[in-house]
Amino acid sequence: MAEMDDLRKTWAEYDRKLDTNIRLSRQILMATNLNRVRSPLRRLAFFVGLESVIQLAVVVALGSFIYEHIATVRFVLPAAALDVFAIAILIAMIRQIAGALQIHYDKPLAIIQKQLEELRVLRIRYIQGIFLVATLAWTPLLIVALKGFWGLDAYRLFGAAYLVANLLVGLAIIPLAIWLSKKYGDRMDRSPMIQRLMKDLAGYNLNAAAGFLATLSEFEEEKREHAVGFLSSHR
Amino acid sequence: MTAPGLQKRFQTLVDDHKKILYKVCNAYCRNRDDRDDLAQEIIVQLWRSFGKFDDRYRFSTWMYRIALNVAISFYRRDSTRMRYVVSDEKHLLQAIDETKSQPEEVRFLYQFIGGLDPLNKALVLLYLDGNSHQEIADVLGISETNVATKIGRLKKTMRREFSGT
Repeated sequence: MAEMDDLRKTWAEYDRKLDTNIRLSRQILMATNLNRVRSPLRRLAFFVGLESVIQLAVVVALGSFIYEHIATVRFVLPAAALDVFAIAILIAMIRQIAGALQIHYDKPLAIIQKQLEELRVLRIRYIQGIFLVATLAWTPLLIVALKGFWGLDAYRLFGAAYLVANLLVGLAIIPLAIWLSKKYGDRMDRSPMIQRLMKDLAGYNLNAAAGFLATLSEFEEEKREHAVGFLSSHR
Repeated sequence: MTAPGLQKRFQTLVDDHKKILYKVCNAYCRNRDDRDDLAQEIIVQLWRSFGKFDDRYRFSTWMYRIALNVAISFYRRDSTRMRYVVSDEKHLLQAIDETKSQPEEVRFLYQFIGGLDPLNKALVLLYLDGNSHQEIADVLGISETNVATKIGRLKKTMRREFSGT
């Protein structure tokens, strides 16, 4: 059997049989609390929204710290670096919320899948950015927190050499973390969250998202001249 | 319409179109638990969008859009999945595995569909279900000429794949 029309006929017959062969459990359908369930996207928007409120408070607190110590460069510089980082995080959070809220599943596949994948890319870059910059943010955070909460001067307390060494350790951790994620990311099969985090850090998830975006673009294009194989590389 | 009335109408419509649910779940999931999880996710998403459903359009086209969008997201998600109803014994879509009396051609078709990427899976399902090029274009969000080109290519590939059967 080779013709599509025959296959469609077989499928139509199968479709007719399904009418009697399958049953949707009304009992389970009724038990599914349709109104209380929040979609993963709404959940994402809700939690990122909460985080962004906290983040806004951090931005304001850092701004206030900078204002109070404006004449002391050694305190202003780390606080300004942290503030820039905090503002960048806040912008990324707002973009995620906006991205999540504009996705409506009743729109065509090409549009929704593109929006979803772009949101995924944004989320992965956000996680990568946070993790990688956080390793460097530790030292300025120590300086600002000691001064802000207890009025202590970290430069006098630990010495400049100690602080520089901390920064260098932070720098060294970045390639080490990426290497560990690449090496052990796949082995975390008992903890999907850690596995996903490690794959995010290693860039695997970003590559997969970029690959799917490319597949989507190709799918949207009309390539009459290239009768490339229909089957994907997923086979 | 009151909320219980709306929910009843929704359940009736979903029941009337359960074949779409069944076929989409079968095409995108290999095991029964995943199929049940996907069916529930689709139903929740359908309900969430039901308030915006425009009666001038066919329910099946609207349902296909949502079901396929959810299925592709589900297929691509690698995290733990949330279960809406804990039920180990009963399944939302009963007889999923009981239809072993499927003709051999249908099993081959599912096998063929299973090997496709998520977007082409959607295209094949819509095509086999007898949707017009315009309806397929409407669900997928691509032009009708693009649909025609892809179906032409699909026919060639399927002819090749099925020539030995």
